[in-house]
Amino acid sequence: MAATPQAQAQPSSAAVRGRQRRAREEELLVWPDLVFIEFISAVLFTILIVILAVMVDSVLLDRANAAITPNPSKAPWYFLNLQELLLHMHPALAGVVVPTVALIALGAIPYFDTSNEGQGEWLSTPNAWLLTKIGAGVGAVGTMLLIFFDASKHVQIYEWIANGELNANPDSPGFVAWPSWLSGIENMAAIRDNIAWPEWMFNVPLGDVLRTDLLGFPRVELDWNIPAFLVEQFIPVNTMIGLPLLLSFVAHRAGWAKTKRDHMVLQFSGFIAVYITLTIVGTFFRGEGLVLIPYTIFAHE
Amino acid sequence: MAATERPQRRTMGDRLYDAIFSNRVWRSIFRSGYPNTPRNQMLAVATNVFLHLHPTRIHRTHVKITHTFCLGGLSFFLFLGLTITGVLLMFYYVPSIERAYEDILALETDVRFGQLMRNMHRWMAHGMVLTVLMHMMRVFYTGAYKPPREFNWVVGVVLLVLTLLLSFTGYLLPWDQLALWAITVGTNMVGSAPILGEPNRFILVGGFQVGQAALTRFYALHVIGLPLLAAVFMTVHFWRIRRDGGLARPL
Repeated sequence: MAATPQAQAQPSSAAVRGRQRRAREEELLVWPDLVFIEFISAVLFTILIVILAVMVDSVLLDRANAAITPNPSKAPWYFLNLQELLLHMHPALAGVVVPTVALIALGAIPYFDTSNEGQGEWLSTPNAWLLTKIGAGVGAVGTMLLIFFDASKHVQIYEWIANGELNANPDSPGFVAWPSWLSGIENMAAIRDNIAWPEWMFNVPLGDVLRTDLLGFPRVELDWNIPAFLVEQFIPVNTMIGLPLLLSFVAHRAGWAKTKRDHMVLQFSGFIAVYITLTIVGTFFRGEGLVLIPYTIFAHE
Repeated sequence: MAATERPQRRTMGDRLYDAIFSNRVWRSIFRSGYPNTPRNQMLAVATNVFLHLHPTRIHRTHVKITHTFCLGGLSFFLFLGLTITGVLLMFYYVPSIERAYEDILALETDVRFGQLMRNMHRWMAHGMVLTVLMHMMRVFYTGAYKPPREFNWVVGVVLLVLTLLLSFTGYLLPWDQLALWAITVGTNMVGSAPILGEPNRFILVGGFQVGQAALTRFYALHVIGLPLLAAVFMTVHFWRIRRDGGLARPL
């Protein structure tokens, strides 16, 4: 049986004795008090994994065949958040820039929140739990709303309400369609395709504007498509930076977030919620052709 | 600390221990006595290369399950389990596009416990991604990244990336449709980066499409390159926990 650590040698000075005992009484011996917990949890998890492995077999599909592309083709589940992002913005932005910036920002957290107060305690500031819930809620709901917007769900809901019938036939007489003057906000691509941008904006010869040749550099040989830039880069970047900033601003003005730690909790919770939401949507709600399902609910024939 | 060495009543365990382990061979391996006194309990931790990752004493709050949920320890445990099952899987697997898929089929049907090993490896791999992510959340919400532990948080972020890469490289090895296309989609993401994307994708895949070169590279990274790198970072991670004063606790 384990002996308690109380049986200690007595230091000579009373002050030292008192201090030592106070510190020592709060301490446990690693053997047995920690080692046994670790051992028991290792045994439990070994059993759990064996049971899981006996009950659920790993997937093995047909032999790899580069000639047959499955529909949908998906990355491993922990990258499906990025694959989901890829549907909404420029691939370089979603596939590389966002994850790189996210990882750097994650690694930089302790260099922003430099106070050492409140360490070692769950949600140590008074409002931390509230901010966790707000961050997570806004992150999850906001992400879903953005995905719904890009999938034109608002158009379908409008037509459902206006026609009093889900998935009404657009060819039937009296069909109320999404107003044509709002066709520019049917989804993200519509901002580029359905708005009457002046023709020159699709083809701005950057070489004529920047004139790097005057500085002795090679001339920029690039035609800039401004509406596409708006849709694929400008709006996504500003959404991803602006909405979190707005959230922090609101939390600050409302008096919920008072310290850097509060803002960290808010932003981190939001990030985790967005990450989880994107992963879930990418995993379970993207069917053939990566169309948002369940499409039968709002199928637009 | 003479008082701690006062012999206690000899239990049945002591007698059994003496009968079996009081010999030169055993004493040459384990130098401390039976850990039934505080002194021997501390020696058991301090004189064992594996256990001495721990301090000999820890604060009372640190053994509360709800303080850490054991998530970091579980991640390490899963890493060890993945190493063991991974080595066993390597016995039956040849990373060639002609053989890989057949080897997995044979592993599942012909090898005793082969399917079980593969299942365990896969579930532990998924589990490790989850535990590492949850460990990061635990560390964040308990404020355990705060000074002086800033750098260990960074090491942790590197370990998170390594965990994802380990899982990703392992994904290709069964060489089935799931593997090929998941890696194709994943590596195409790398390729979409401006300027450096396409060269990086080429280096990773070893060609223009996922084939033998990719399988060789992913295999080498999966079974030796990334695990070694992860082990190095884990060593730093664990060492820094001790250096930075153990688990974070209120000032």
